[in-house]
Amino acid sequence: MSTSRLIGQLIESLRCLPGVGPKSAQRMAYHLLEHDREGGRRLAEALNQSMERIGHCRDCRTLSEDDRCTLCSSERRDRSLLCVVETPADVLALEQSIGYQGLYFVLMGHLSPLDGIGPEELGLDQLEPRLRGGEVRELILATNPTVEGEATAHYIGEIAHACGVRVTRIAHGVPMGGELEYIDGNTLSHAFAGRTEL
Amino acid sequence: MSTRSKVTLEPAFILHHYPYRDSSLLLEVFARGYGRLGLVARGVRSARARWRGQLQNFRPLLLSWSLRGELGTLTGLEFPVATGMPAGRRLLSAYYLNELILRLLARHDPHPEVFDAYAEAIRDIDVTEEPALRIFEKRLLQALGYGLLLEHEADSGLPIENEAWYEYLLERGPVRRAQVCEQGIFLRGSSLTALHRERLADPACCREVKSLMRAALSLYLGSRPLKTREVLRQLVTMSDKGRDTGSRTDMN
Repeated sequence: MSTSRLIGQLIESLRCLPGVGPKSAQRMAYHLLEHDREGGRRLAEALNQSMERIGHCRDCRTLSEDDRCTLCSSERRDRSLLCVVETPADVLALEQSIGYQGLYFVLMGHLSPLDGIGPEELGLDQLEPRLRGGEVRELILATNPTVEGEATAHYIGEIAHACGVRVTRIAHGVPMGGELEYIDGNTLSHAFAGRTEL
Repeated sequence: MSTRSKVTLEPAFILHHYPYRDSSLLLEVFARGYGRLGLVARGVRSARARWRGQLQNFRPLLLSWSLRGELGTLTGLEFPVATGMPAGRRLLSAYYLNELILRLLARHDPHPEVFDAYAEAIRDIDVTEEPALRIFEKRLLQALGYGLLLEHEADSGLPIENEAWYEYLLERGPVRRAQVCEQGIFLRGSSLTALHRERLADPACCREVKSLMRAALSLYLGSRPLKTREVLRQLVTMSDKGRDTGSRTDMN
């Protein structure tokens, strides 16, 4: 039990973060109070502003404080390429590692029929008119290689086909630096089926 | 209820999974000799987990777990020889099977015959989608004690004639009729026989059997609609928008 009601409240609030249990929350709270009040104020301000102002981009649905995110409003991106991903973190991962210059569409999840998460929840009703608009020439499906991700990719692929847009799916198989011996059978069979000519 | 039981390498499927705590998964498992049960797979969502990405639906697995109380803990995982898994559009039908099991079977109630029927349906769904679904539905109802009367007429007990027409009255059975009289399902005798023999290759008979199974299942599913059915409906509407040809919905 902490000595003040407010500190107790702070510790309890910090626990909403992933991976933060009571002990870590306590350490964080005392660290800010004892050593870094300025950092604490900045954190509080940033949290406050973010929670108030961040919504979804009108075009790609990713998290953004503007009506359209910086990627969607950039003049330099190739508007004929559209890459479909599950989460805003996936956009970041792709942006940081590959030289992709097209735009994104963020589903904010994947198809999960048993939870009642269908096309409407994933904003596919918003994607369809965009594909029909004629600006997009290629749709790249970069949903996760899980069963849900596959189902999602399949349906988006069908919609894109109906709109006459070329559809591609990112490859999945053996990771760089991996050893075949230790790779599970499912991944191996995918890798084998998707082999490419040298 | 504090006795701990251990199970080793039991054939099982994962029906559904939810994220649990920061790095674990809560699995809704269907095991051959143990029925439906909940298992915690600790740490499988962390970056270096051994089983990361391996616990997927529709894949035959051999699971080991220890159980104390309601929830068990996953302790082992192996893969039998790889078999085909449903892909693309068929995945939705496979989810429908999962929802049927989740809705109609209680936890800790073993049904090996339903498990075998499920494994068979998952295997066949890629090749013969509709028949695979109908056969599973029939076997599921049978295992639950709600089996349909397919060989004889209700009341009279006369054998079903392939050329005749019948009205199937739920919870009673087929009655020979020239037209519908009591809001039953109207179908040919050959369709009843085909379902009984589990030979549903003929599309017309498959359609009749489908309305029969839909009516029979709705009796036990209650008023809460099936989520997979609703999602499929939305998907079909959406992908049909640009197309003139209506895509089929194979689950009920």
